[in-house]
Order: sequence, then structure tokens, then C-alpha cells
Amino acid sequence: MPRYQRLALSSISAAALLAALPAGATTFTISWWGFNGDKMQEIIVNPFQELCGCEVVFETGNNGDRLNRLAMRSGAGVDVIYLTDSYSQAGIEQGLFQPIDRAQVPNIAELYDLAQAPQGEFGPAYTVGRIGLVYDSARVNPPITSWNDLWRADLASSLSLPNITTTAGPMVVLQAGRHAGVDAYTDEDATFAALAELAPNIVTNYNTGSEMINLFSTGEISVSMTQDFTLGRLRDAVPTIEWATLTDGEIAVLNTINIPTGSENVELAHQFINFVLSADIQRQLAEQGVDAPVNATVELSPEAAGMWTYGQEQIDSLQRIDYSQLNPARDRWLDRWNETFGM
Amino acid sequence: MATRIHPLLILFTVLVYVFLLGPLIIIFGASLSDTTYLTFPPQGLSFRWFQNIWDISAFRRTIVTSLQMAFLGTAIALVIGIPAAYALNRYRVTLPGWLSTLFVLPILVPEIVIGFSLLRSVTVQAGVPVWYALLIGHTLLVIPYVIRVVSASLASFDFSIEEAAISLGSPPARTFFTIVLPNIRSGVIAAFILSFITSINDVSVSLFLTGPGVSTLPIQLLAHMEQFFDPTIASVSVVLMLLTILVMIIVERTLGLAIVAK
Amino acid sequence: MKRLAGWMLASPATLAITFLLVIPVAITVGLSFGSPGQGDWGIVQPYADFFASGFRRNVLWRTFTVAGWVTVISLAAGLATAYVVARCPPWMKSTLIVLAVFPLLTGVVVRSFAWLVLLGREGMVNQVLQATGLTDGPVAMLYTQGAVIVAMVYIFVPLMVLVLVGVLENIPEDLMQASSSLGAGPVASFFQVTLPLAVPGLIVGAVLVFTASFTSYATPHLLGGTRQMMMGTFLQQRALVAFDWPGAAVVAAIMLAVIVATVLVMTRVARRLNPMAT
Repeated sequence: MPRYQRLALSSISAAALLAALPAGATTFTISWWGFNGDKMQEIIVNPFQELCGCEVVFETGNNGDRLNRLAMRSGAGVDVIYLTDSYSQAGIEQGLFQPIDRAQVPNIAELYDLAQAPQGEFGPAYTVGRIGLVYDSARVNPPITSWNDLWRADLASSLSLPNITTTAGPMVVLQAGRHAGVDAYTDEDATFAALAELAPNIVTNYNTGSEMINLFSTGEISVSMTQDFTLGRLRDAVPTIEWATLTDGEIAVLNTINIPTGSENVELAHQFINFVLSADIQRQLAEQGVDAPVNATVELSPEAAGMWTYGQEQIDSLQRIDYSQLNPARDRWLDRWNETFGM
Repeated sequence: MATRIHPLLILFTVLVYVFLLGPLIIIFGASLSDTTYLTFPPQGLSFRWFQNIWDISAFRRTIVTSLQMAFLGTAIALVIGIPAAYALNRYRVTLPGWLSTLFVLPILVPEIVIGFSLLRSVTVQAGVPVWYALLIGHTLLVIPYVIRVVSASLASFDFSIEEAAISLGSPPARTFFTIVLPNIRSGVIAAFILSFITSINDVSVSLFLTGPGVSTLPIQLLAHMEQFFDPTIASVSVVLMLLTILVMIIVERTLGLAIVAK
Repeated sequence: MKRLAGWMLASPATLAITFLLVIPVAITVGLSFGSPGQGDWGIVQPYADFFASGFRRNVLWRTFTVAGWVTVISLAAGLATAYVVARCPPWMKSTLIVLAVFPLLTGVVVRSFAWLVLLGREGMVNQVLQATGLTDGPVAMLYTQGAVIVAMVYIFVPLMVLVLVGVLENIPEDLMQASSSLGAGPVASFFQVTLPLAVPGLIVGAVLVFTASFTSYATPHLLGGTRQMMMGTFLQQRALVAFDWPGAAVVAAIMLAVIVATVLVMTRVARRLNPMAT
């Protein structure tokens, strides 16, 4: 048989062979950030795969990316989706999620009050975090003690801020407003003028936690604003990283887990949510530096508790954001953000 | 007698080649480093970052998907492209002039515009499943290469041989496979290789068309880079480079490398 | 029958490209227009909005600038290299061409990543700069326009070399010999004989590199970051992050217009500059 025909035939059969790779077991699709993927694999995915006899597949990316893709597919394609509360709020408003049948998720009863039903009948929170500032104590002196320190002249070209499209992004705008002494919602001009003053300090803005960690570990930045879930890996990469003790207070963030309307494995999804809310898994995640526990029955050692938002008292002390006001503002702010930092 | 080349020009050329090949050598070195961060020269030698590619399920899946897209996409493009190239050469007078421009459109239109448009029309509005949409994108990308390269090969083909065979009673279809194709063999192989490499390396179209569980190697590499800035990226790059070298060796064995200079 | 035969053979490809490329792209362009009564500009309102925004104008201008620099530098480097390679003995020539083309086949991500490593604060370039005493501390090179340009030049020089070697080889050696026998030195011969004849090929190479760098995504994304947004990365942000599809369509349509205009203009220029060329 002539060469080209052989080539064509072998190409097609190779492709057919590849296409026939194992697809036997049920596929359970999780949409999450991909951060700490290896630890999640160990603590959550592998045990769950054994429990359900299914194969777990991921869609990764940041909140905006994944929520938009879900919307594009009209709620289909994934079985559970991890999002921060501001984005799950947007998802609920877009009608992308189905209510959770709490009878199938008994572990919800063990959670702190604010985590049980933060968004009504939709998904519970599986972790609580706070947004604050981190800095490399080996390169930044004097240490950071206030949000206003971001504007310090000695921090030129050392800063990376979360992009407006991330969870913490809009908080930057809010803090800039406070720095300018105005309410960011009502006086956007003064707020963004304050942000413009920040521009010389910024190297580049980041879109994912891992990007921010990379920037620290390669020495490109020495200060950033981030959520505390990054602290574990950040300290592994750069041991001199400190979480700044801020005199003007930190912001609470709840991460939720939801079931999209187009999920193909609804029962399995409920089982999964119950699994990740269990005390055992929550404790492991906390001890391994992945997420703070919201299961109130989890008890952590003082060192483990040190890096998390932990304990009723601390949780009660955080500021909460009103997303019904923030979300619409964020869309407005995206353009002004681009103009301020992208010019 | 050839004109003398100024030594400065030769020096410049040497520098350009160092510029072109140096970074690739550095990546190769970095992939062998026994550290968790990227460094050159490598500190300690280890294959663990190559092992890591195999360990990460996302890489295993996307390598498979990329190969599927490349093989299938190219195969489909060959099946619809070779007849089109044949028609352009043999029946040129009966076909409008704009047709050859149409066939080249996927190269002219920016890939990122193609990806975005396909996402909107094929994935969102037509609801085509991810894997098929991705295949459509990849096939579309390589069709012009197939048609152009095979067309060039056919341009130097003497159609009178074919006509002679037909006039001697050979059916047209059989004549195509036994007379025409063997003579444009080098063109078909070149088209296959060019298309394969284009598909494997595509970013801008795959960026829009990938979905949960269905992604290609370059996209996965980009995602990995954002999460872990470790030598795995270097080792995947080396694997891709080795694949390229393999392809070039195949080209050399079957066609002679002169084909590259054409 | 013969007339039909041609169409029948060409129809699968024609249909594929029409339905999978022409129509979707046309829909995208259609999406970029507004409604007749909208704003001051009616159906062109979205474009008016685009050009009214300082940020967007900046992105467009930056893309032109970067693509322009990349084209000029690649052209110069590529031409010099191709000139030398074309004059090498055959055994050396094919090796050199293979070496030049090899990077081209390894893909954009790998090659952009190489510069991410090289230009970092702890990367090789900084190591060399500090070792030779040219700088005291590490220089921040990433996420600047320069980084994007350097990486893109790296991506496109092989392409330029490949195109130009072919072009220069087509210029008969006799012409150069005739020119030198008439008393012209090598430099004069180059500028008055070789270069004019190479112009159509130069234009092809320039157009290829300009359009590819104008529409590039991976390299600006990795090396430019959010502060060096270009049309390709901006389109991705609009479409997949901000979920602003009409806005993304405007960006896509403008990119398309620039490419088409570039190709048309340059083809005309090429024809005028060298009517002798085929």
C-alpha cells in the first residue's frame, strides 16, 4: 500500500485509539481555581474518587473566567463550582445554580452560623478568609501596618495588586476611597485619583493567587494584597513573608460551593459537598495550609490556627461587604481600572 | 567568484544564531535541574521534572487531546483539502478566482478572532460539545496549509500523464490514487507535517474553545505557568522540542531537508 | 460535467470555510455594530465609544508600536542573516536553514517562556549584568514593553530568515558580478542591485511579521502583564473575563480591518516598487 495511504490510515487509527481511552466510569467535574491543586488532590480528590468510584475532572481558572464559561454553557458542563461569595452572588442572579437539598448535606448543621446559608437556599460556605496585606520582611522596612502604607514612596515598583476581576480587586478600590477620605461608591473620581497615585508602585497586577506567589518568589515584588489562603504556600516560597497586622481592619470573604443547574451528577454533587464539609476533611485542609475551617467542631492547634481566620471571635470581628452594592459597581469600575493601570 | 562577505556581517549572523538557539539550550538545561525553581546552569541533575509531567493528570490528558486534535484535524483537512487543491489546479478555468483566496482565509483572519467567533457561533449558539468544537477549530486552522502546499506540488505535476491513463481506460478515481497521489507524495507529507505542527502549537484558537476536561497542551502549559513556576514547564518544553526534532528527522528521511528551504 | 467536477471536488473545503469561518466572523463583525438610533453615532456608536476611550486608544497605539518595532528589527536582523546564509556553500546552507527554522517549530508558549526565565530578576540576563558590573542590583525587565518586543523579535526572526533566504536566492548571482565588474563595491551593489530586487520578498516578510505580531496573544500575555495590554490580550479580557461580547466584537473587527488594510496597502506598494518582479 502506497506510503501516503499508510500514513493516512495510521493517523486515523492512532486517533481512533486515542479517542477510545478509558471513559468507562462516571466523570465528576469540579470547577475550582486550581490553587493548591496537589494538596486538594491528596486530601479531597483521591479519597472522594474511592468513595464514589468515579473519575474527577477539573475546570480551572479564576472566578470571572469560570463563571463566564458556565454562563456561556447555560449552566452545564460542571457538577460543582467553587467561587467566592461575590461571584456566587452574581451566579445566583444569573440563574446558574440550583438550590441545595440540605437533607442530603447533613454536615451543614456543624458549620458556623454565617457559613450555613450565606446566600439563602443556595450553596454553603466551605471556608472563611480575610483579605489583607502581605510583605517580604527582608525587603520592606519599616513593616506595613496600615492600608495607607501601600502608597509609601519607598515601595516604588514593588507592589502587585489583585486585578479588579479577582475577589480582592474591588476591595482595592474601596480602600483607595478610604485613603482619599471618600466613599468609593459615591466619589469615583477622587477614588481613582488615589489609585492613580499608586501606579508608580505597581509592577503588574495579578489575576490568580499563584501568579502573585510567583511574583514574590522570583523577587519581582515585595508587597501585595491578598486573601489568607495563599499564606501557606507563600511562606513555603518566601520564608520571610509576613501577614501585616493592620490597624484599620481586614475584610471577610466567604468561599461558597454550588451546584449548577446543568449538573449531570446532582446526587453525587450533594455527596461531594457533604464530604468537603466534614470535620475530618476540614481539619486536614486547615492543617495542610489549604483553607480555614468553617466546621465549628474542628479544633486546631495554636500554630495551625495562627494563620487562619479561626474561632467565633475572630470571625465576628471582620468587616463584611455588601455585594448587592459592590457587584454592579465593579462592572463600572473595570474600565476606570484599566485606564488607571493600563495606560 | 562569489562576492566577499564583510566579517562584521558574519559576526552578526553568528550572534543572531546564538540569540535564536541559546534560550532553547537554557530551557533544556533548566529542565534537568534538581531544584524546585527555575535556574540555569542546573544545580544537580535529575529527571524528576520529566517524571512530574507523567504524574500530573492534566498534562496526561492534554497531551492526548493535543495529539488527537493534530492527527484528526490534519486527517480531515487532508481529506477535504487535497480534492480542493486538485480542483484548483486541474479545473482552474471553471472555478472563480476568489476561491483560492477563500481557502487562505484562515491564515489571513487573526487566529484570536477565529477563536472568538467560533466560540460564539459553534459552542454557544449551536451548542456543539467542546471536543468537537475544538476539532473544528483545529481543522479550520490547517486547511489552508494543506491546500497551499498540495497545490504547489500539483503545479509541477504533468496532468497529461493522468489524461493518458484515463484515455487508456483507467477509471478517474483509481487514476487519482495510483497516478496523481504518488507524484505529489512529497507535497502531501509536507502538508501533513506543517499542519500537525501548527495544530500542536496552537494557542489563540484553543484558548477560546477549551472546556472542562478538554484542553490542549499549550493551554495547559499556560495554566501551569500561572500556578507553579517550576521546572515542569521546562521539561514539557523539552518534550515538545524533541517532538519537533523527531518530525524533522522524519522529513529528512522521507523527503530530504531541501523541502524546508522551498 | 467538467464544470461540475471542479466544484464537486472543491465544495467540501468551500463549505467548511464558509460555514465555519466566514459566517461566524461575519456574525462577530455584525455584533460589533450598535442599533441605528443609538447615541450620537447610530450603528457606529460602539466604535465611537472605542476611540473615545483613552485606554482603548492606548492599547491600539501600543499594539501598532510594538508590531512596528518587531517588524523593523526582525527585518534588519533577518535580512543580514539571510544575506550571509544565502551565500554559504550548499552543505552549510541547509544546516543553517534547519537551525533557523527549528525554533519556529517549537511553538509560541515555549519560546515566550524562555524569555520569562531570562528576563526575570533572578534570570540570566540580570546575572550577567551584575557579574560584569554593569548594574548594581537586578533590573526589572519583565512586564515592560521592551520585554514584549524582545520576545516577539525572538519569535519572528526565524520566519523572516526563512522567507528572505528564499527571496535572496532568487536573485541571480550574475547580477552582483556584473555590478562589481562595473566597479561598484559590495555595499553599493547591495543597495542598488540586490535590495530593490528583494523588495517584494521583504514586503511579504514584513507583512507576515507585522500581522502576526499585531494579533499576538501568548507573548504579550506572558511578558507584558496587565499593564502592557495589546489588542490580542484585550480581546481575551473583554470576551472571557469581562464577558463583554459586543465590546470584544469591536476589538475583533478593528483587528480584522487593520490586517486587511495592511495586506492591501502593502501589496499595492510592492507592485509599484518593483514592476519587474513576478
